[in-house]
Amino acid sequence: MAQNSAGLSSDYQFWMQKLSVWDQASTLETQQDTCLHLPQFQEFLRQMYEALKEMDSNTVTERFPTIGQLLAKTCWNPFILAYDESQKILIWCLCCLINKEPRNSGDSKLNSWTRGLLSHILSAFRFDMKEVGLFTQGLGYAPADYYPGLLKNMVLSLVSELRENHLNGFNTQRRMAPERVRSLSRVCVPLVTLPDFEPLVLALLTCHGHEPQEVLWPEFFGAVNEAFLLKKISLPTSAIVCLWLRHLPSLEKAMLHLFEKLISSERNFLRRIECFMKDSLLPEAACHPAIFRIVDEMFRYALLETDGAPEVLATIQVFTWCFLEALGKEKKQLKFALKTYFPYASPSLVMVLLQHPKDIPQGLWHQSLKHISEKLREIVEDQTDGSYGGPFECWFLFIHFGGWADIAAEQLLMSEAEPPEAVLWLLAFSYRPRDGSQQRAQTMVEVKAVHGRLMKLLRSPALSARDLQAAAGESQAAAPRPSACGQLIRHLLLNFLLWAPGGHAIAREVITLMAHTDEITHEIASFLDQTLYRWDRLCMEAPASRKLARELLAELRGQV
Amino acid sequence: MESLLQHLERFSEVLAVSRTPHVSTWDPATVRRALQWARYLRHVHRRFGRHARIRTALERRLQNQWRQEGGSGPAAAPGLTNFQALGRCDLLLSLRLLQNRALGEAACHSLLQQLFPGPGVPGADEDTLQGRLARLARRRSAVHMLRLCGSRESPVLQEDALMKTQAELLLARLREAGRAAAAGPGGLLSSLWERVPHDNFLKVVAAALLLPPSSPRPRGEELEPGTPSTAGEGRRELVRWLLGRSDIMAAFCRRLPAGVLASVAGRHPELSRGYLGLLTDWGRQLRYDLQQGVWVGAEPQGVPWEELYGRFESLCRAPPPLKDEVLTALESWKAQDGGFQVRGLSVWTDLLLALGSGT
Repeated sequence: MAQNSAGLSSDYQFWMQKLSVWDQASTLETQQDTCLHLPQFQEFLRQMYEALKEMDSNTVTERFPTIGQLLAKTCWNPFILAYDESQKILIWCLCCLINKEPRNSGDSKLNSWTRGLLSHILSAFRFDMKEVGLFTQGLGYAPADYYPGLLKNMVLSLVSELRENHLNGFNTQRRMAPERVRSLSRVCVPLVTLPDFEPLVLALLTCHGHEPQEVLWPEFFGAVNEAFLLKKISLPTSAIVCLWLRHLPSLEKAMLHLFEKLISSERNFLRRIECFMKDSLLPEAACHPAIFRIVDEMFRYALLETDGAPEVLATIQVFTWCFLEALGKEKKQLKFALKTYFPYASPSLVMVLLQHPKDIPQGLWHQSLKHISEKLREIVEDQTDGSYGGPFECWFLFIHFGGWADIAAEQLLMSEAEPPEAVLWLLAFSYRPRDGSQQRAQTMVEVKAVHGRLMKLLRSPALSARDLQAAAGESQAAAPRPSACGQLIRHLLLNFLLWAPGGHAIAREVITLMAHTDEITHEIASFLDQTLYRWDRLCMEAPASRKLARELLAELRGQV
Repeated sequence: MESLLQHLERFSEVLAVSRTPHVSTWDPATVRRALQWARYLRHVHRRFGRHARIRTALERRLQNQWRQEGGSGPAAAPGLTNFQALGRCDLLLSLRLLQNRALGEAACHSLLQQLFPGPGVPGADEDTLQGRLARLARRRSAVHMLRLCGSRESPVLQEDALMKTQAELLLARLREAGRAAAAGPGGLLSSLWERVPHDNFLKVVAAALLLPPSSPRPRGEELEPGTPSTAGEGRRELVRWLLGRSDIMAAFCRRLPAGVLASVAGRHPELSRGYLGLLTDWGRQLRYDLQQGVWVGAEPQGVPWEELYGRFESLCRAPPPLKDEVLTALESWKAQDGGFQVRGLSVWTDLLLALGSGT
């Protein structure tokens, strides 16, 4: 309490000044300034209430002699009263001022004055025409009876004006002046979360009118976006798309909100990511190429900033899946050409990547992998033609469809034959995109060797964890591997454990040996989660492997 | 059942008293009790909402009460007038007490404590009295802001938000009055006429007559099972009443703008006949001033030529069959007067000539 009061006192002075400047928020500037400060002011009111409720009414006036003024000024600012819970908190504060047992006429006067303010907040708006009040009274209705209906009609009438504005572009008589539309959007800022206002918010978002520049006040978009992210308003996807198209910062904020959610939630949980992703409406909105490009840009940035963090990779994959799903469901006749979504990529590469593995018989997957690998290699190793962006762009495109890399690793262990060069290249590229051609060749050789050794172990009657370790090339004395290659080898081992008949028995032991850091434990859990997710999506039957994977994943999660 | 009705009556008394200076005698315990009763009745509303028999019985008792009170004075604002109001009775009581200056300090303090207990479980506030009062305050601000910054009076009467709301309320009341007694609606309207400003009332009546047929009930009233949309009934009552009161009909036709009346006449043929009848009377009162060359009224408060012409012009802009009806009527009056083609002899001739369709 003591530390708070110092901060509260200085805040008090600040807000007192602000309120005096704002007065009744009747000018453009005061309205704008009020709207910018609404959330902070509400927070301040809350803190005041916390302080006031501990005191009795006499202490209140001693401690905050001008509190009456502060609260009164608040009462007269309709923007503050309209916002969220401010009116409720204000009422609580006023109740703290009421003296239960007034000692003198001064106390009584204060009580009376406070009651007046409370009454004002809750009384009906006095229309300029008294006749309305007299009529409704004559009918036997109190304002509490007809207010919802009145508000609904007012909103409806504005909505139809906006719609007409949108449709009758050239009929200047019926046009709604841009200034009026703008001031409507300002009025909406504190009221975005009031359900009665939803139709008006929707109309403002979707009815563009015919002005060349943006008419709506930017804070309006911000307020709607905030409300949407916090789930305080429900709008159709088309309205959200309009919002993001008209106001870029809102889209960026929505992305950041998603990232925050993903960071703060449990790691390694692809189903959860999918849930958040669909919830955010970003995949659906991304069916509009402009939005897709911005979202993709932010993903690219995040990837670079985190140096290829696996969580970001996973998110991009999930996003792409959801996006393609949404694109498939789009009923719009005019679909955008793929080039608009991936302008820097080779069209044939995009075509081949977009093939859903589900649509290809499993037996032919190796062909698709070969195609993909060849196309990628063409672009990456071609020094002269820089039109398709170079290795990073290629890789960035490829990891959108990262499922193929996982399939490649799996497929490798399905066949005892020597792995095709194309698949080796693809794996090496996918795990270590920055390698030069020599290093890549080396990686490919190593993977081939490991594969050979693992295939030999397949035929051995009794497998031990040591055998597997040796096959992976690890020995006690060996120097630690460069990490990504190690990751690739680990994934091969894990695939082996899941698929080889002898693998199940030694799985736990092997994993214990592998997981000598937290980092690696997380990586293994991620791998298992991703594998299970992929099997679900592709409807792959593999009951024994599934069971093992699930068990292992549960155990690992329990550890972390 | 009987105890329920008694409870209702007692609470209605309490509600009536809550507006009077008599509350100065209330102590905190009385306030608490009153709010408890309100809570109980609200519970009744929730519980028996679908129970037709109980609902009807309660509603009838309330209607009776209201009619008795309603006749007693212009300022009487009855509290509970229908079953729906029971859902809001705690709100109504709270607001009345809050705004009553006569309520003592201690009682007021107790009232505030009960109405605004402070933060509780977040999100669960929506349905509590505190939450609903806060929402009312928020809506009030919303109306205020829309009024200042956005809302304008609509040129189309029945689309103007204020008019539309009043019209919907009127139709709702007429519906209830009709259910309570056959002569209900007429009596209600006549008593209203005595009590409220006439101009606004007439506009509301016009708006109610012009509301689109599928106009829903005002918000706050749930869809009642088994009752078809009876806004049409309400409108019929209005027409019946207007036709039964020639003085009010005259005021209606005189005071409202030509365009509005043309729309009303188009929608309601019985009224169009009445309207035309009045126009005939007004027309016949005009005399031709040879020197000025204009038609003038015999009395100063009579309808002048320009207005008469304006009204006929509006009617002729209406779609058929109204337009044809009007023209036919004009032709027949012209014929009755002798069928002259020359100006100055029959007001109907001149009107037809002015309207551009004289033959």
